[in-house]
Amino acid sequence: MGVLSFGIPQLIMSVIGVVIGIIFGALPGMTATMAIAIFLPLTYAYDLNTSLYLLLGLYVGGISGGLIPAILINIPGTPSSICTGFDGHPMARRGEGVRALRIGIVASLFGGLISLACLFFFTPPLARVAINFSAVEKFLLIVFALTIIAALSKGDMIKGVFIGFVGVLISLIGQFADNNKMRMVPSMFRVDLRMGFQLLPVLIGLFALVQIFQEAEAGMKEEHHMADLSKQSRGFNFREDFKGQWFNVLRSGIIGTFVGVLPGVGGSAASLLSYSQAKSMSKHPDKFGTGLVDGLIASEGSNNGLTGGALIPLLSLGIPGDSTTAVLVGAFMLQGIQVGPLFITNNPTIWNTILFALLIANILMFVFMFYPIKHVVKIINFPKSRIFPVIILLCTVGSYATQNGNIFDVWTMLFFGIVGYFLAKFGFSIPSFLIGFILGSDLEKYFVDSIKGSGGDLSVFFSRPIGNVIWVLILVSLVYAFWDERRSKKKAQSEA
Amino acid sequence: MLRVTYRPSTSHWLFPPIIMGILGILIVIMLIQRAVRCAKEKKPFFNLKGYRFFIENWDKTRLFGTLVLMILYFPAMELIGFLPASIIFIFLFNVLFVGLHQFKSIPVAFKTKQFWSNPDFRSLIISLAIAVISSTLIWFLFGKVFKITLP
Repeated sequence: MGVLSFGIPQLIMSVIGVVIGIIFGALPGMTATMAIAIFLPLTYAYDLNTSLYLLLGLYVGGISGGLIPAILINIPGTPSSICTGFDGHPMARRGEGVRALRIGIVASLFGGLISLACLFFFTPPLARVAINFSAVEKFLLIVFALTIIAALSKGDMIKGVFIGFVGVLISLIGQFADNNKMRMVPSMFRVDLRMGFQLLPVLIGLFALVQIFQEAEAGMKEEHHMADLSKQSRGFNFREDFKGQWFNVLRSGIIGTFVGVLPGVGGSAASLLSYSQAKSMSKHPDKFGTGLVDGLIASEGSNNGLTGGALIPLLSLGIPGDSTTAVLVGAFMLQGIQVGPLFITNNPTIWNTILFALLIANILMFVFMFYPIKHVVKIINFPKSRIFPVIILLCTVGSYATQNGNIFDVWTMLFFGIVGYFLAKFGFSIPSFLIGFILGSDLEKYFVDSIKGSGGDLSVFFSRPIGNVIWVLILVSLVYAFWDERRSKKKAQSEA
Repeated sequence: MLRVTYRPSTSHWLFPPIIMGILGILIVIMLIQRAVRCAKEKKPFFNLKGYRFFIENWDKTRLFGTLVLMILYFPAMELIGFLPASIIFIFLFNVLFVGLHQFKSIPVAFKTKQFWSNPDFRSLIISLAIAVISSTLIWFLFGKVFKITLP
């Protein structure tokens, strides 16, 4: 067992992270991913352990804060709260706003704790299996991750694979580590692109600037009708409200964790899947959408389940489970720490810190949201037009600092902001692109290493037993993707 | 059995063509899919009628204003320094996002000598305050306390 770094500075970082995270989560148009991307440069100033308290606080706070506008104005503050408003908002309208918020917060807390337990129990054994992986299995594992992205990019499988591989291609720009030779670099960028595009400006561009462009396009509208919280017809009662809900809480937390594990699948999928499961298993599915506690718990329990779940593949296999953990990869990279099968063995302190920081963040989230909820809800009145300029400032500073002051990185950020804006316009998934971009250079490394070992014989990719198991999984996910696409097309046709 | 030639000197061009090949195949598949779908629905392959790139009632000023201000902001930082450039541009971003009509309040406010009570002029003052405070705070925190390199 390694030790743990925790003290007053770490607690303060955690509090700052959770509070800022809640603000980002509660403001529609700002997400947890954006918060982490913007605050990532602070990891230059602190060691990784201390930074993790801030970053994981932002993550948990950012996912949790989304329930506030979902319930009060029926607009999810983050995509992961997409189903929260279905039942939360009707409750708020009939004067149970505070009750709905508190149920959501408690469900969030349990969802977070369930996923934390899963992270604690499942990551080490998975890493132990993965430690024996050779380059072949590692290569196939990344291919598998890319096919899962495809299988789950609803309806548009080819588009999902395509944009993932575009991400891979872009990550190959620059110098190849094996022979230090450059490829795909226009001669005018020989110096700036020697190491390729830096991760941090790409992230900030894709997750912060795209959002700002979209909000600017929509005119930064601020008006909304918040449900009145001054008169409450029914308050929150833990024993009554959670009576008979424990199975729902557990199922939602596990569904959220599972969705979190799958790479490239966002929080909205966790919320939707959990909500539809709760509905189909309910004795009274017709009451869903009218302000039923079950639906609210299903959505909020699952989205906080994401937090631990998405960290499982990251810390055991080196594959980020969602866009937010993909951004976290940036924090590890900045500190020169390799995420992957050896992560826990090599960095026991950081592993303990992650678990503890997540626990603290969940508890702080509860403390800062549950009791002062009537004051916390005022966050959603913050005007976006005043916050976004400051975010642009933070984005610029963050990108500039990536390589200790290089204006090229700031232009990279703007470039990927514009690229991301177009990707979103044409229906391409930005997280798929990002995961391809992050895993691309590893994919190449393992491919070349496998070929090196075999002297050029491609059959090496079928020579390892675990590798062949991964091949089967790849095939299964592709077959599933085809089947799912056909089914949804047929469904769309029969409805039309 | 399938083989590739591996030579360390050319290994940097081993993998990118494979990815480009996959992308090429995927583009062909996407085009065929579209062609099949268009043939089925009897629509032309290139159908720009009724296509909208921007959302309905999109805000030209704010979208292009954001882009233009960013393109000007980055060189300005190098030219006049981080702090002055940030104060100016964060102020301009504030004004742009809240609404450019506020500028009209400047002559009115000076003519009527009512500054704070004029809501548009008040908003300009708030914008300026946000710009000065946030830029200075970030300059101080990031640049001085955390020693992060600033432009």
